[in-house]
Amino acid sequence: MHFAAIDWFIVVAYLILSVAAGLLGKKYIGNVSHYLVAGRELGTYAGIATLAATEIGTITFMYNGELGYKYGFAAFAAALISGLVMIVVGRTGLVIERFRALRLMTVPEYFERKYSRGLRLLAGILVAIGGILNMGVFLKIEGEFLTIVSGIDSRYLIAVMTAILLLELVYTVVGGMMAVVITDFIQYVLLSVATIVVSIYAVHHAGWDNIVAKVASTMGSAGFDPIENPKFGITFLIWQVLLWFSIHTCWQTTAMRVFSTRSPEISKRVMTWTGFIYLGRGMLPMLWGAAALTLFGVGALDNGVPLPVVNGQTLAPIDAMPAMLASILGPGIKGIVVAGMLAATMSVNSSYLLGWSAVISQDIILPIREQMGKPALSSRSQIFVNRLANLFVGLFLMFWGLYYTPPGAVYLYLNITGTIYLAGTFICVIGGLYWKRSNTTGGYLAMLMGAAGAIIPFFFLHWSENITGFCAFGLAALGLVLGSLMGKRAAPSSTDARLERALKEAE
Amino acid sequence: MNYWLIFWTASLVIAGISFAVITGIVMVKGYKDLRLMFGRLAEERMHDRE
Repeated sequence: MHFAAIDWFIVVAYLILSVAAGLLGKKYIGNVSHYLVAGRELGTYAGIATLAATEIGTITFMYNGELGYKYGFAAFAAALISGLVMIVVGRTGLVIERFRALRLMTVPEYFERKYSRGLRLLAGILVAIGGILNMGVFLKIEGEFLTIVSGIDSRYLIAVMTAILLLELVYTVVGGMMAVVITDFIQYVLLSVATIVVSIYAVHHAGWDNIVAKVASTMGSAGFDPIENPKFGITFLIWQVLLWFSIHTCWQTTAMRVFSTRSPEISKRVMTWTGFIYLGRGMLPMLWGAAALTLFGVGALDNGVPLPVVNGQTLAPIDAMPAMLASILGPGIKGIVVAGMLAATMSVNSSYLLGWSAVISQDIILPIREQMGKPALSSRSQIFVNRLANLFVGLFLMFWGLYYTPPGAVYLYLNITGTIYLAGTFICVIGGLYWKRSNTTGGYLAMLMGAAGAIIPFFFLHWSENITGFCAFGLAALGLVLGSLMGKRAAPSSTDARLERALKEAE
Repeated sequence: MNYWLIFWTASLVIAGISFAVITGIVMVKGYKDLRLMFGRLAEERMHDRE
Protein backbone atom coordinates (compact mmCIF):
# COMPACT_ATOMS: atom_id res chain seq x y z
CA MET A 1 0.00 0.00 0.00
CA HIS A 2 1.45 3.38 -1.06
CA PHE A 3 -0.94 5.46 1.03
CA ALA A 4 -0.03 6.89 4.46
CA ALA A 5 -2.65 7.71 7.16
CA ILE A 6 -2.54 11.42 6.25
CA ASP A 7 -3.36 10.55 2.62
CA TRP A 8 -6.40 8.51 3.66
CA PHE A 9 -7.55 11.33 5.93
CA ILE A 10 -7.39 13.89 3.08
CA VAL A 11 -9.25 11.62 0.65
CA VAL A 12 -12.04 10.66 3.09
CA ALA A 13 -12.48 14.30 4.21
CA TYR A 14 -12.82 15.36 0.59
CA LEU A 15 -15.44 12.67 -0.12
CA ILE A 16 -17.57 13.68 2.88
CA LEU A 17 -17.34 17.40 2.01
CA SER A 18 -18.21 16.79 -1.62
CA VAL A 19 -21.28 14.64 -1.01
CA ALA A 20 -22.55 16.93 1.77
CA ALA A 21 -22.16 20.01 -0.47
CA GLY A 22 -23.89 18.21 -3.33
CA LEU A 23 -26.89 17.34 -1.16
CA LEU A 24 -27.31 21.06 -0.36
CA GLY A 25 -28.35 21.58 -4.00
CA LYS A 26 -31.69 19.80 -3.39
CA LYS A 27 -33.23 22.72 -1.54
CA TYR A 28 -33.01 24.93 -4.66
CA ILE A 29 -34.90 22.53 -6.93
CA GLY A 30 -38.32 24.01 -7.74
CA ASN A 31 -38.93 22.90 -11.33
CA VAL A 32 -37.33 20.90 -14.12
CA SER A 33 -35.23 23.83 -15.39
CA HIS A 34 -33.62 24.10 -11.93
CA TYR A 35 -32.88 20.37 -12.07
CA LEU A 36 -31.39 20.32 -15.57
CA VAL A 37 -29.99 23.80 -16.26
CA ALA A 38 -29.63 25.36 -12.78
CA GLY A 39 -32.53 27.75 -13.44
CA ARG A 40 -30.33 29.42 -16.14
CA GLU A 41 -28.66 31.48 -13.41
CA LEU A 42 -25.01 30.59 -13.93
CA GLY A 43 -22.53 33.49 -13.97
CA THR A 44 -19.19 33.67 -15.80
CA TYR A 45 -16.82 32.35 -13.14
CA ALA A 46 -19.01 29.59 -11.73
CA GLY A 47 -19.68 28.72 -15.39
CA ILE A 48 -15.96 28.39 -16.11
CA ALA A 49 -15.51 26.20 -12.99
CA THR A 50 -18.36 23.84 -13.84
CA LEU A 51 -17.48 23.58 -17.56
CA ALA A 52 -13.80 22.96 -16.84
CA ALA A 53 -14.56 20.44 -14.06
CA THR A 54 -17.03 18.61 -16.32
CA GLU A 55 -14.50 18.10 -19.07
CA ILE A 56 -11.39 17.42 -16.94
CA GLY A 57 -11.48 13.98 -15.38
CA THR A 58 -9.02 11.30 -14.38
CA ILE A 59 -9.89 9.77 -17.74
CA THR A 60 -8.64 13.01 -19.40
CA PHE A 61 -5.35 12.81 -17.50
CA MET A 62 -4.98 9.14 -18.38
CA TYR A 63 -5.57 9.38 -22.14
CA ASN A 64 -3.54 12.56 -22.49
CA GLY A 65 -0.74 10.99 -20.44
CA GLU A 66 -0.85 7.99 -22.77
CA LEU A 67 -0.61 10.28 -25.83
CA GLY A 68 2.39 12.12 -24.30
CA TYR A 69 4.09 8.80 -23.53
CA LYS A 70 3.53 7.34 -27.03
CA TYR A 71 3.92 10.40 -29.26
CA GLY A 72 5.94 12.91 -27.21
CA PHE A 73 5.57 16.63 -27.89
CA ALA A 74 3.84 15.99 -31.24
CA ALA A 75 0.72 15.05 -29.23
CA PHE A 76 0.53 18.68 -28.00
CA ALA A 77 -1.07 19.48 -31.38
CA ALA A 78 -4.33 17.79 -30.26
CA ALA A 79 -4.38 19.88 -27.05
CA LEU A 80 -3.60 23.09 -28.91
CA ILE A 81 -6.43 22.49 -31.39
CA SER A 82 -8.97 21.72 -28.63
CA GLY A 83 -8.13 24.96 -26.79
CA LEU A 84 -7.90 27.24 -29.83
CA VAL A 85 -11.16 25.93 -31.32
CA MET A 86 -12.91 26.58 -27.99
CA ILE A 87 -11.59 30.14 -27.92
CA VAL A 88 -12.85 30.68 -31.51
CA VAL A 89 -16.31 29.28 -30.55
CA GLY A 90 -16.39 31.58 -27.52
CA ARG A 91 -15.30 34.69 -29.42
CA THR A 92 -17.65 34.16 -32.38
CA GLY A 93 -20.56 32.59 -30.46
CA LEU A 94 -20.82 29.95 -33.22
CA VAL A 95 -23.91 27.83 -32.39
CA ILE A 96 -23.72 28.44 -28.63
CA GLU A 97 -25.10 32.00 -28.75
CA ARG A 98 -28.13 30.84 -30.75
CA PHE A 99 -28.59 27.72 -28.61
CA ARG A 100 -28.66 29.79 -25.43
CA ALA A 101 -31.04 32.32 -26.97
CA LEU A 102 -33.48 29.47 -27.71
CA ARG A 103 -33.57 28.47 -24.00
CA LEU A 104 -33.00 24.77 -24.70
CA MET A 105 -32.34 22.08 -22.07
CA THR A 106 -30.84 19.38 -24.30
CA VAL A 107 -29.21 19.34 -27.76
CA PRO A 108 -31.78 16.99 -29.39
CA GLU A 109 -34.56 19.36 -28.23
CA TYR A 110 -33.38 21.69 -30.99
CA PHE A 111 -34.15 18.97 -33.58
CA GLU A 112 -37.86 19.04 -32.74
CA ARG A 113 -37.97 22.83 -32.76
CA LYS A 114 -36.27 23.06 -36.17
CA TYR A 115 -36.98 19.73 -37.87
CA SER A 116 -39.46 17.21 -36.42
CA ARG A 117 -40.27 15.16 -33.34
CA GLY A 118 -39.13 11.99 -35.12
CA LEU A 119 -35.72 13.47 -35.79
CA ARG A 120 -35.47 14.56 -32.15
CA LEU A 121 -36.16 10.98 -31.14
CA LEU A 122 -33.53 9.60 -33.56
CA ALA A 123 -30.99 12.19 -32.40
CA GLY A 124 -31.85 11.42 -28.77
CA ILE A 125 -31.31 7.68 -29.27
CA LEU A 126 -27.98 8.17 -31.09
CA VAL A 127 -26.78 10.76 -28.57
CA ALA A 128 -27.70 8.52 -25.62
CA ILE A 129 -26.14 5.35 -27.08
CA GLY A 130 -22.95 7.10 -28.27
CA GLY A 131 -22.63 9.09 -25.03
CA ILE A 132 -23.15 6.19 -22.66
CA LEU A 133 -20.78 3.91 -24.61
CA ASN A 134 -18.26 6.74 -24.60
CA MET A 135 -18.60 7.10 -20.84
CA GLY A 136 -18.56 3.31 -20.50
CA VAL A 137 -14.76 3.15 -20.48
CA PHE A 138 -14.31 5.80 -17.79
CA LEU A 139 -14.75 3.68 -14.64
CA LYS A 140 -12.26 0.99 -15.52
CA ILE A 141 -9.51 3.42 -16.49
CA GLU A 142 -10.17 5.67 -13.50
CA GLY A 143 -10.05 2.58 -11.31
CA GLU A 144 -6.68 1.61 -12.79
CA PHE A 145 -5.32 5.05 -11.94
CA LEU A 146 -6.55 4.84 -8.37
CA THR A 147 -5.23 1.30 -7.86
CA ILE A 148 -1.76 2.15 -9.16
CA VAL A 149 -1.34 5.45 -7.29
CA SER A 150 -2.85 4.45 -3.94
CA GLY A 151 -1.64 0.85 -4.01
CA ILE A 152 -5.13 -0.56 -3.25
CA ASP A 153 -5.23 -4.26 -4.04
CA SER A 154 -6.69 -4.70 -7.55
CA ARG A 155 -9.14 -7.29 -6.12
CA TYR A 156 -10.96 -4.40 -4.45
CA LEU A 157 -11.05 -2.27 -7.61
CA ILE A 158 -14.67 -3.09 -8.48
CA ALA A 159 -15.85 -2.43 -4.92
CA VAL A 160 -14.00 0.91 -4.77
CA MET A 161 -15.30 2.15 -8.13
CA THR A 162 -18.83 1.01 -7.32
CA ALA A 163 -18.69 2.95 -4.04
CA ILE A 164 -17.49 6.09 -5.86
CA LEU A 165 -20.21 5.78 -8.50
CA LEU A 166 -22.85 5.36 -5.78
CA LEU A 167 -21.63 8.51 -4.01
CA GLU A 168 -21.87 10.46 -7.28
CA LEU A 169 -25.32 9.03 -7.93
CA VAL A 170 -26.59 10.06 -4.49
CA TYR A 171 -26.07 13.77 -4.99
CA THR A 172 -26.69 13.87 -8.76
CA VAL A 173 -30.04 12.07 -8.51
CA VAL A 174 -31.16 14.18 -5.57
CA GLY A 175 -29.83 17.62 -6.51
CA GLY A 176 -29.50 17.53 -10.32
CA MET A 177 -27.58 20.42 -11.91
CA MET A 178 -27.75 22.44 -8.65
CA ALA A 179 -25.74 19.75 -6.85
CA VAL A 180 -23.43 19.32 -9.82
CA VAL A 181 -22.62 23.04 -9.98
CA ILE A 182 -21.76 23.23 -6.27
CA THR A 183 -19.62 20.10 -6.28
CA ASP A 184 -18.00 21.08 -9.60
CA PHE A 185 -16.73 24.29 -8.00
CA ILE A 186 -15.07 22.44 -5.09
CA GLN A 187 -13.81 19.75 -7.45
CA TYR A 188 -12.43 22.26 -9.96
CA VAL A 189 -10.36 23.98 -7.27
CA LEU A 190 -8.98 20.68 -5.99
CA LEU A 191 -8.23 19.15 -9.40
CA SER A 192 -6.51 22.34 -10.58
CA VAL A 193 -4.26 22.42 -7.52
CA ALA A 194 -3.44 18.73 -8.10
CA THR A 195 -2.68 19.40 -11.79
CA ILE A 196 -0.27 22.22 -10.98
CA VAL A 197 1.44 20.21 -8.18
CA VAL A 198 1.90 17.13 -10.39
CA SER A 199 3.29 19.22 -13.28
CA ILE A 200 5.93 20.76 -11.00
CA TYR A 201 6.84 17.38 -9.51
CA ALA A 202 7.03 15.66 -12.91
CA VAL A 203 9.40 18.23 -14.44
CA HIS A 204 11.45 18.41 -11.23
CA HIS A 205 11.95 14.62 -11.06
CA ALA A 206 12.40 13.82 -14.75
CA GLY A 207 14.24 17.06 -15.68
CA TRP A 208 13.18 19.18 -18.67
CA ASP A 209 16.39 18.52 -20.64
CA ASN A 210 16.09 14.77 -19.98
CA ILE A 211 12.49 14.74 -21.21
CA VAL A 212 13.46 16.52 -24.45
CA ALA A 213 16.47 14.20 -24.93
CA LYS A 214 14.42 11.02 -24.27
CA VAL A 215 11.67 12.03 -26.74
CA ALA A 216 14.32 12.95 -29.34
CA SER A 217 16.28 9.69 -28.94
CA THR A 218 13.13 7.51 -28.93
CA MET A 219 11.05 9.12 -31.66
CA GLY A 220 13.39 11.47 -33.50
CA SER A 221 11.74 14.49 -35.14
CA ALA A 222 8.37 12.63 -35.20
CA GLY A 223 8.26 13.22 -31.44
CA PHE A 224 8.05 16.97 -32.07
CA ASP A 225 6.55 17.45 -35.53
CA PRO A 226 2.85 16.37 -35.66
CA ILE A 227 2.82 16.48 -39.46
CA GLU A 228 5.77 14.10 -39.72
CA ASN A 229 4.46 11.74 -36.99
CA PRO A 230 2.85 8.76 -38.79
CA LYS A 231 -0.01 8.56 -36.25
CA PHE A 232 -1.00 12.17 -36.87
CA GLY A 233 -0.31 14.12 -40.10
CA ILE A 234 -2.43 16.72 -41.85
CA THR A 235 -5.57 14.52 -42.05
CA PHE A 236 -5.50 14.01 -38.26
CA LEU A 237 -5.13 17.72 -37.61
CA ILE A 238 -8.04 18.69 -39.88
CA TRP A 239 -10.25 15.94 -38.41
CA GLN A 240 -9.39 17.23 -34.91
CA VAL A 241 -10.46 20.76 -35.88
CA LEU A 242 -13.84 19.45 -37.14
CA LEU A 243 -14.28 17.17 -34.14
CA TRP A 244 -13.50 19.86 -31.58
CA PHE A 245 -15.87 22.34 -33.24
CA SER A 246 -18.60 19.72 -32.90
CA ILE A 247 -17.67 18.82 -29.30
CA HIS A 248 -17.55 22.41 -28.06
CA THR A 249 -20.91 23.21 -29.62
CA CYS A 250 -22.95 19.97 -29.54
CA TRP A 251 -21.56 17.69 -26.81
CA GLN A 252 -24.48 17.34 -24.40
CA THR A 253 -22.52 17.93 -21.16
CA THR A 254 -20.75 21.01 -22.57
CA ALA A 255 -23.96 22.35 -24.10
CA MET A 256 -25.79 22.00 -20.76
CA ARG A 257 -23.36 24.55 -19.27
CA VAL A 258 -24.14 26.91 -22.15
CA PHE A 259 -27.88 26.41 -21.53
CA SER A 260 -27.36 27.09 -17.79
CA THR A 261 -25.75 30.53 -18.17
CA ARG A 262 -27.64 33.75 -17.43
CA SER A 263 -27.36 35.07 -21.02
CA PRO A 264 -25.88 34.30 -24.46
CA GLU A 265 -23.12 36.84 -23.76
CA ILE A 266 -22.08 35.02 -20.56
CA SER A 267 -22.06 31.68 -22.42
CA LYS A 268 -19.56 33.15 -24.92
CA ARG A 269 -17.34 34.48 -22.12
CA VAL A 270 -17.40 31.12 -20.30
CA MET A 271 -16.40 29.31 -23.49
CA THR A 272 -13.56 31.74 -24.31
CA TRP A 273 -11.87 31.55 -20.91
CA THR A 274 -12.36 27.81 -20.59
CA GLY A 275 -10.53 27.56 -23.94
CA PHE A 276 -7.35 28.74 -22.20
CA ILE A 277 -7.86 26.10 -19.49
CA TYR A 278 -8.24 23.51 -22.26
CA LEU A 279 -4.68 24.22 -23.42
CA GLY A 280 -3.39 23.12 -20.00
CA ARG A 281 -5.98 20.32 -19.73
CA GLY A 282 -4.28 18.62 -22.65
CA MET A 283 -0.66 19.72 -22.58
CA LEU A 284 0.09 19.30 -18.86
CA PRO A 285 -0.90 15.60 -18.63
CA MET A 286 0.87 14.98 -21.95
CA LEU A 287 3.98 16.41 -20.30
CA TRP A 288 3.47 13.96 -17.39
CA GLY A 289 3.32 11.14 -19.95
CA ALA A 290 6.59 12.27 -21.54
CA ALA A 291 8.14 12.52 -18.06
CA ALA A 292 6.99 8.95 -17.33
CA LEU A 293 8.64 7.83 -20.59
CA THR A 294 11.87 9.48 -19.42
CA LEU A 295 11.79 7.80 -16.00
CA PHE A 296 10.44 4.34 -16.87
CA GLY A 297 10.66 3.85 -20.66
CA VAL A 298 13.27 1.07 -20.70
CA GLY A 299 11.26 -2.03 -21.72
CA ALA A 300 10.81 -3.85 -25.01
CA LEU A 301 9.83 -1.73 -28.00
CA ASP A 302 6.13 -1.50 -28.79
CA ASN A 303 5.52 0.35 -32.10
CA GLY A 304 8.92 1.99 -31.71
CA VAL A 305 8.37 3.18 -28.11
CA PRO A 306 9.84 1.30 -25.10
CA LEU A 307 7.22 -0.08 -22.69
CA PRO A 308 7.37 1.24 -19.12
CA VAL A 309 9.07 -0.98 -16.55
CA VAL A 310 8.37 -0.24 -12.88
CA ASN A 311 9.91 -2.34 -10.09
CA GLY A 312 10.77 -5.03 -12.63
CA GLN A 313 7.20 -5.23 -13.92
CA THR A 314 6.29 -4.24 -17.50
CA LEU A 315 3.18 -2.04 -17.73
CA ALA A 316 0.97 -0.72 -20.53
CA PRO A 317 1.89 2.83 -21.70
CA ILE A 318 -1.36 4.24 -20.25
CA ASP A 319 -0.32 3.05 -16.76
CA ALA A 320 3.12 4.69 -16.87
CA MET A 321 1.88 8.10 -15.69
CA PRO A 322 0.05 6.87 -12.54
CA ALA A 323 3.03 4.60 -11.75
CA MET A 324 5.26 7.68 -11.92
CA LEU A 325 2.97 9.56 -9.50
CA ALA A 326 3.05 6.63 -7.06
CA SER A 327 6.82 6.74 -7.10
CA ILE A 328 7.57 10.50 -6.99
CA LEU A 329 4.88 11.93 -4.65
CA GLY A 330 5.45 11.92 -0.89
CA PRO A 331 2.91 11.40 1.96
CA GLY A 332 0.37 14.22 2.19
CA ILE A 333 1.04 15.40 -1.36
CA LYS A 334 -0.10 12.02 -2.62
CA GLY A 335 -3.36 12.39 -0.65
CA ILE A 336 -3.96 15.86 -2.13
CA VAL A 337 -3.28 14.60 -5.66
CA VAL A 338 -5.51 11.52 -5.28
CA ALA A 339 -8.28 13.68 -3.76
CA GLY A 340 -7.81 16.02 -6.75
CA MET A 341 -8.08 13.12 -9.17
CA LEU A 342 -11.13 11.77 -7.33
CA ALA A 343 -12.61 15.26 -7.60
CA ALA A 344 -11.91 15.20 -11.34
CA THR A 345 -13.51 11.76 -11.61
CA MET A 346 -16.62 12.71 -9.67
CA SER A 347 -17.19 16.02 -11.45
CA VAL A 348 -17.02 14.38 -14.87
CA ASN A 349 -19.12 11.35 -13.94
CA SER A 350 -21.86 13.32 -12.19
CA SER A 351 -22.15 15.75 -15.12
CA TYR A 352 -22.17 12.93 -17.65
CA LEU A 353 -24.78 11.00 -15.64
CA LEU A 354 -27.00 14.09 -15.63
CA GLY A 355 -26.30 14.87 -19.30
CA TRP A 356 -27.15 11.47 -20.74
CA SER A 357 -30.08 10.85 -18.40
CA ALA A 358 -31.51 14.26 -19.43
CA VAL A 359 -31.43 13.10 -23.07
CA ILE A 360 -33.11 9.78 -22.18
CA SER A 361 -35.90 11.46 -20.22
CA GLN A 362 -36.46 14.65 -22.26
CA ASP A 363 -35.71 13.42 -25.79
CA ILE A 364 -36.73 9.77 -25.74
CA ILE A 365 -39.28 9.06 -22.99
CA LEU A 366 -41.27 12.33 -23.08
CA PRO A 367 -41.64 12.56 -26.91
CA ILE A 368 -42.73 8.88 -27.04
CA ARG A 369 -45.34 9.57 -24.36
CA GLU A 370 -46.63 12.58 -26.28
CA GLN A 371 -46.69 10.58 -29.51
CA MET A 372 -48.85 8.00 -27.73
CA GLY A 373 -51.34 10.75 -26.92
CA LYS A 374 -50.63 10.84 -23.20
CA PRO A 375 -50.94 14.22 -21.40
CA ALA A 376 -47.79 16.29 -20.78
CA LEU A 377 -46.04 15.56 -17.48
CA SER A 378 -45.88 18.13 -14.69
CA SER A 379 -42.49 19.61 -13.78
CA ARG A 380 -42.41 17.42 -10.67
CA SER A 381 -43.07 14.25 -12.68
CA GLN A 382 -40.39 15.24 -15.22
CA ILE A 383 -37.86 15.52 -12.39
CA PHE A 384 -38.93 12.06 -11.21
CA VAL A 385 -38.43 10.59 -14.72
CA ASN A 386 -35.01 12.29 -14.88
CA ARG A 387 -34.03 10.73 -11.57
CA LEU A 388 -35.07 7.27 -12.78
CA ALA A 389 -33.07 7.76 -16.01
CA ASN A 390 -30.10 8.85 -13.92
CA LEU A 391 -30.29 5.65 -11.88
CA PHE A 392 -30.57 3.57 -15.06
CA VAL A 393 -27.45 5.15 -16.61
CA GLY A 394 -25.56 4.70 -13.32
CA LEU A 395 -26.46 1.00 -13.06
CA PHE A 396 -25.58 0.38 -16.72
CA LEU A 397 -22.17 1.97 -16.23
CA MET A 398 -21.54 -0.07 -13.12
CA PHE A 399 -21.85 -3.31 -15.09
CA TRP A 400 -20.57 -2.27 -18.53
CA GLY A 401 -17.87 0.16 -17.43
CA LEU A 402 -16.01 -2.15 -15.11
CA TYR A 403 -15.71 -5.06 -17.54
CA TYR A 404 -15.24 -3.54 -21.00
CA THR A 405 -11.69 -2.73 -22.19
CA PRO A 406 -11.36 -0.32 -25.14
CA PRO A 407 -9.07 -1.33 -28.03
CA GLY A 408 -6.04 0.87 -28.96
CA ALA A 409 -5.33 4.38 -27.66
CA VAL A 410 -8.20 5.51 -25.39
CA TYR A 411 -8.19 9.07 -26.79
CA LEU A 412 -8.88 7.77 -30.30
CA TYR A 413 -11.55 5.31 -29.08
CA LEU A 414 -13.37 8.17 -27.34
CA ASN A 415 -13.08 10.33 -30.47
CA ILE A 416 -14.56 7.64 -32.70
CA THR A 417 -17.48 6.72 -30.41
CA GLY A 418 -18.24 10.44 -30.11
CA THR A 419 -18.09 10.88 -33.89
CA ILE A 420 -20.89 8.29 -34.36
CA TYR A 421 -23.44 10.91 -33.38
CA LEU A 422 -21.43 14.15 -33.34
CA ALA A 423 -20.92 14.19 -37.13
CA GLY A 424 -24.67 14.13 -37.90
CA THR A 425 -25.66 16.27 -34.93
CA PHE A 426 -23.12 19.02 -35.69
CA ILE A 427 -24.01 19.15 -39.39
CA CYS A 428 -27.78 19.25 -38.61
CA VAL A 429 -27.29 22.00 -36.04
CA ILE A 430 -25.08 24.11 -38.33
CA GLY A 431 -27.52 23.56 -41.22
CA GLY A 432 -30.54 24.31 -39.07
CA LEU A 433 -29.12 27.49 -37.55
CA TYR A 434 -27.32 28.97 -40.56
CA TRP A 435 -28.87 27.51 -43.76
CA LYS A 436 -32.51 28.35 -44.44
CA ARG A 437 -32.90 25.57 -47.05
CA SER A 438 -32.16 22.71 -44.57
CA ASN A 439 -35.16 20.46 -43.92
CA THR A 440 -36.21 17.26 -42.13
CA THR A 441 -35.27 14.90 -45.00
CA GLY A 442 -31.77 16.38 -44.99
CA GLY A 443 -31.66 16.05 -41.19
CA TYR A 444 -32.51 12.33 -41.26
CA LEU A 445 -29.97 11.66 -44.01
CA ALA A 446 -27.25 13.61 -42.14
CA MET A 447 -27.81 11.71 -38.88
CA LEU A 448 -27.91 8.27 -40.52
CA MET A 449 -25.06 8.85 -42.97
CA GLY A 450 -22.90 10.44 -40.25
CA ALA A 451 -23.38 7.40 -37.98
CA ALA A 452 -22.78 4.94 -40.86
CA GLY A 453 -19.70 6.94 -41.92
CA ALA A 454 -18.18 6.42 -38.47
CA ILE A 455 -19.26 2.81 -37.80
CA ILE A 456 -18.65 1.05 -41.15
CA PRO A 457 -15.14 2.34 -42.00
CA PHE A 458 -13.78 1.96 -38.46
CA PHE A 459 -15.36 -1.24 -37.18
CA PHE A 460 -15.84 -3.20 -40.45
CA LEU A 461 -13.32 -1.85 -42.96
CA HIS A 462 -10.66 -1.13 -40.27
CA TRP A 463 -9.71 2.24 -41.76
CA SER A 464 -7.65 4.62 -39.62
CA GLU A 465 -9.35 7.00 -37.17
CA ASN A 466 -8.40 10.02 -39.28
CA ILE A 467 -9.99 8.75 -42.48
CA THR A 468 -13.02 7.48 -40.55
CA GLY A 469 -13.51 10.93 -39.02
CA PHE A 470 -13.40 12.61 -42.43
CA CYS A 471 -15.78 10.04 -43.82
CA ALA A 472 -18.35 10.59 -41.05
CA PHE A 473 -18.38 14.40 -41.27
CA GLY A 474 -18.24 14.36 -45.09
CA LEU A 475 -21.13 11.90 -45.45
CA ALA A 476 -23.23 13.80 -42.87
CA ALA A 477 -22.74 17.06 -44.79
CA LEU A 478 -23.52 15.35 -48.08
CA GLY A 479 -26.68 13.84 -46.55
CA LEU A 480 -27.93 17.20 -45.28
CA VAL A 481 -27.31 18.98 -48.59
CA LEU A 482 -28.75 16.24 -50.82
CA GLY A 483 -31.77 15.60 -48.58
CA SER A 484 -32.54 19.30 -48.21
CA LEU A 485 -32.28 19.95 -51.95
CA MET A 486 -34.37 16.90 -52.86
CA GLY A 487 -37.00 17.27 -50.13
CA LYS A 488 -39.74 19.87 -49.81
CA ARG A 489 -38.55 23.40 -49.00
CA ALA A 490 -39.27 23.91 -45.27
CA ALA A 491 -41.64 26.72 -44.31
CA PRO A 492 -40.04 29.28 -41.92
CA SER A 493 -40.59 27.79 -38.45
CA SER A 494 -41.62 29.54 -35.26
CA THR A 495 -38.14 28.59 -33.97
CA ASP A 496 -36.49 30.77 -36.66
CA ALA A 497 -38.72 33.72 -35.72
CA ARG A 498 -38.12 33.16 -32.00
CA LEU A 499 -34.39 32.99 -32.59
CA GLU A 500 -34.38 36.25 -34.56
CA ARG A 501 -36.31 37.94 -31.74
CA ALA A 502 -34.07 36.55 -29.01
CA LEU A 503 -30.88 37.56 -30.80
CA LYS A 504 -32.21 41.10 -31.36
CA GLU A 505 -33.15 41.34 -27.67
CA ALA A 506 -29.67 40.15 -26.68
CA GLU A 507 -28.10 42.84 -28.87
CA MET B 1 12.86 19.87 -34.84
CA ASN B 2 14.34 22.89 -33.04
CA TYR B 3 11.55 25.18 -34.24
CA TRP B 4 8.94 22.72 -33.07
CA LEU B 5 10.63 22.41 -29.69
CA ILE B 6 10.65 26.21 -29.27
CA PHE B 7 7.00 26.35 -30.36
CA TRP B 8 5.87 23.60 -27.95
CA THR B 9 7.89 25.05 -25.07
CA ALA B 10 6.28 28.46 -25.57
CA SER B 11 2.81 26.85 -25.90
CA LEU B 12 3.37 24.85 -22.72
CA VAL B 13 4.45 27.93 -20.77
CA ILE B 14 1.38 29.86 -21.96
CA ALA B 15 -0.89 26.89 -21.17
CA GLY B 16 0.58 26.41 -17.68
CA ILE B 17 0.44 30.09 -16.75
CA SER B 18 -3.13 30.54 -18.10
CA PHE B 19 -4.24 27.44 -16.20
CA ALA B 20 -2.79 28.69 -12.91
CA VAL B 21 -3.96 32.31 -13.28
CA ILE B 22 -7.52 31.43 -14.37
CA THR B 23 -7.76 28.92 -11.49
CA GLY B 24 -6.82 31.67 -9.02
CA ILE B 25 -9.40 34.09 -10.43
CA VAL B 26 -12.16 31.46 -10.62
CA MET B 27 -11.50 30.37 -7.01
CA VAL B 28 -12.26 33.88 -5.73
CA LYS B 29 -14.90 35.14 -8.16
CA GLY B 30 -16.60 31.76 -8.71
CA TYR B 31 -17.50 31.58 -5.04
CA LYS B 32 -19.14 35.04 -5.23
CA ASP B 33 -20.96 33.95 -8.39
CA LEU B 34 -22.39 30.89 -6.66
CA ARG B 35 -23.59 32.93 -3.67
CA LEU B 36 -25.28 35.38 -6.03
CA MET B 37 -26.90 32.56 -7.97
CA PHE B 38 -28.29 30.82 -4.90
CA GLY B 39 -29.43 34.16 -3.47
CA ARG B 40 -31.44 34.79 -6.63
CA LEU B 41 -32.92 31.31 -6.62
CA ALA B 42 -33.89 31.58 -2.94
CA GLU B 43 -35.60 34.91 -3.70
CA GLU B 44 -37.43 33.32 -6.62
CA ARG B 45 -38.71 30.56 -4.35
CA MET B 46 -39.90 33.13 -1.78
CA HIS B 47 -41.86 34.93 -4.53
CA ASP B 48 -43.37 31.65 -5.70
CA ARG B 49 -44.54 30.86 -2.18
CA GLU B 50 -46.10 34.31 -1.75
